[in-house]
Amino acid sequence: MELPITFCPRALIRKLDDVFKNTCNKVYVMNAELENDPKAVLSLTVEEELIPTFYVLLSQGFTVKVRVGCTMRELLQRQLGLSADYIEQRLQTIFLDGKAVDNIDTAVVRNGSTLALSAAMPGLAGATLRRGGAYASMRSQISHGKSKLSDHIKEGELVLKLFNLVARELGPMFLAKGVWLKGKSLQGFLQKAPDSFRGGCRAAELNGQPLDIDSLDKLEWDQQEIFVTVKKTL
Amino acid sequence: MDKILRINMGSEGGPQASEEPLGDYAGLGGRAMTSAIVAKEVPPLCHPLGKNNKLVIAPGMLSGSNTAQSGRASVGCKSPLTGGIKEANAGGQGSQVMARLGYAAVVLEGKPKDDTLYKVVINKDGVAITPDNSLKMLGNYDLIDKINAEYGDKVACISIGQAGEMKMAAATVAFTDMEQRPTRHAGRGGVGAVMGAKGVKVIVLDDADMPTRSPKDPEKFKEANKAFVAGLKKHPITGEGLPGFGTNVLTNVINEAGALPTHNFQTGRFEGAGKISGEAQSEIMTSRGGKVSKGCHKGCVIRCSGIYNDKDGNFLTKRPEYETVWAHGGNCGIDDMDAIAMLDRMDDDYGLDTIEMGATIGVVMEAGLAKFGDAEAAINLLKEVGQGTPLGRILGSGAAVTGKVFGVERVPVVKGQALPAYDPRPVQGIGVTYATTPMGADHTAGYAVTANVLGVGGNVDPLKPEGQIELSRNLQIATAAIDATGFCLFIAFAILDQADTFQAMLDLISAFSGQELTADGVTALGKKILTDERDFNARAGFTKEHDRLPEFFQNEPLPPHNATFTVKDEDLDQVFNW
Ligand code: SF4
Repeated sequence: MELPITFCPRALIRKLDDVFKNTCNKVYVMNAELENDPKAVLSLTVEEELIPTFYVLLSQGFTVKVRVGCTMRELLQRQLGLSADYIEQRLQTIFLDGKAVDNIDTAVVRNGSTLALSAAMPGLAGATLRRGGAYASMRSQISHGKSKLSDHIKEGELVLKLFNLVARELGPMFLAKGVWLKGKSLQGFLQKAPDSFRGGCRAAELNGQPLDIDSLDKLEWDQQEIFVTVKKTL
Repeated sequence: MDKILRINMGSEGGPQASEEPLGDYAGLGGRAMTSAIVAKEVPPLCHPLGKNNKLVIAPGMLSGSNTAQSGRASVGCKSPLTGGIKEANAGGQGSQVMARLGYAAVVLEGKPKDDTLYKVVINKDGVAITPDNSLKMLGNYDLIDKINAEYGDKVACISIGQAGEMKMAAATVAFTDMEQRPTRHAGRGGVGAVMGAKGVKVIVLDDADMPTRSPKDPEKFKEANKAFVAGLKKHPITGEGLPGFGTNVLTNVINEAGALPTHNFQTGRFEGAGKISGEAQSEIMTSRGGKVSKGCHKGCVIRCSGIYNDKDGNFLTKRPEYETVWAHGGNCGIDDMDAIAMLDRMDDDYGLDTIEMGATIGVVMEAGLAKFGDAEAAINLLKEVGQGTPLGRILGSGAAVTGKVFGVERVPVVKGQALPAYDPRPVQGIGVTYATTPMGADHTAGYAVTANVLGVGGNVDPLKPEGQIELSRNLQIATAAIDATGFCLFIAFAILDQADTFQAMLDLISAFSGQELTADGVTALGKKILTDERDFNARAGFTKEHDRLPEFFQNEPLPPHNATFTVKDEDLDQVFNW
């Protein structure tokens, strides 16, 4: 489904919810079963106010299982289910392996790539890093050039980072579907979570078994990747 | 705003105030006013702390009116840090209140006979200049508490902390915000040291019974203001990004680009960036009952500031800005947001430029005085500055002097002023502005007002290398013009993308002044300001060789992209060739 042409962030968030509901069968990402031997699957149910706490984790990067070797547009639109309008209007700053992307139809996503998505940014630097902006020449040394399409598109994974407004808008859906996180980041996050975190955390399950919320910050996950889902209480 | 207030601190018999009509300076505001006065009246070869330098404080052209976003003031002088002309600007309440009192500029001149410290009080009845040595060596926060106890909490204050009194080259001039806190600073270039040299601790401005400045064409003004505000609110940066995350929204993005100067410009990525990002900062502020979004003066609709509380929920500082978080954070390897907020509070209290101090601490960390990442050591170093110990005096002189004293080669300065939070190797166009602006390395010198919207400098082909030179030129022209209006530079993003918002801004200025302003007029104003400034610098001994980045930017590839700065010197020399 397409989003309305007029760009209204609040309406957009509602629409995105629909997008995800309607397209999750197309969405390849974040499926625990895709991993042969998930070391741990952590499911949290939290108060709605707590959801934004997790955006910091999303900005530090999480792994998604997708088909790689395709263009970025194919990934964002077909696989992640984002509308063309959202991509055009909201995803104004995109980095692929640390390089600023100007053209999502020529940038190719490879296995192991890191993809960061952000809204338009302030300042001259922000304007310079913007997709195809008037100042793109000011950072030509870190612009993502045209890359060759792979011969075949295959299963793979990439690290996705969601920044600022993009984390706010897409974060809840990614968290609900589940994300692969590095154990070290998750452990650090849980250990440093403010006191209000436990109060807002309603239920936790580890590998399908109920888990005492007070024990969350004591779990040793340093070396693992954890598949985490975060849902809000109904 | 039809008069200039001059205060001669060196008059026989003590400081004397006099008012004069605008004369040659009619129609000027903000940076246009400060740079015109300094260029015309200050001998370029004078000592910055001597009797011949002048400190000029000028509200923007639209300050004191109901124009949204128009509360910036400019502070100008010959800089003790760079030796060239300086304009540093700040938000806060001072600009609006000074404009309503009718002053287009307050000029501090001369030099007091002894080390008596003065307080200047300006209200509808006139000006009182009184000695008050009880204010000596007070930090800005204690000072404002004292002033509020005496004059109430409706006044606006412009003040210096201990650093200004000690005439340190990194000293700022502080402006109080809407909550009477000294959180907004004319930060760059050591303007606070010049105020200290004039013997003025604080200027108290009281606009009780003074009317709001009214536009020449009220109907057109109202319409234009409405369209302007709507434009700011609908734009994703000014309407959502800045209010949601402050300027520190940039940390994650600049880090991802590999352009976040880390460990004194040794690399472009900081491992702890996520912990000190705008996103993380907003979460901390919310969880402690702080405020994620607020304006620094009345009439701000973008509201990029906020309240940062400590762990116990008590006010610690305003939302630390991106440049501060970078300077005290990634540049020094510190990933503790509370430590950075504490350093911000201390800078505001002592009256120090956060960029200069973060860069300076990075330099001494490289020299081995402390380890990168040691937040406690950074706090202790800053305390030395506030206390004026011999080490503190060196640090308070800025990164260039400190680098010399400790024999450090990698010192990130241009014209003696520390580079801000964007490494010019991966983002070379910014390096062009750092190198060539008359101000010394300054990130706000070339801001984001598109050449195409302004129509300045012809049609730039951004894909050609020379495009960077033209872009930097056009940006510097546009920025200088906006600095004259009193508009906060953050309006630039909405103007960049929305032609109707740019037109609304022109309409606002036209309706207010009664004189039609066009894009060409904006360009002419910007060029005039830059011409004044460059002329001053040339007479002060600056040559094209000063318009260069330090050598290490050409020689040391910056990880992760391993870029070096490759813009040629002869291209840099073309920036002001219009
Ligand atoms: S946008 Fe930020 S800096 Fe500009 S006036 Fe508002 S609070 Fe001050």
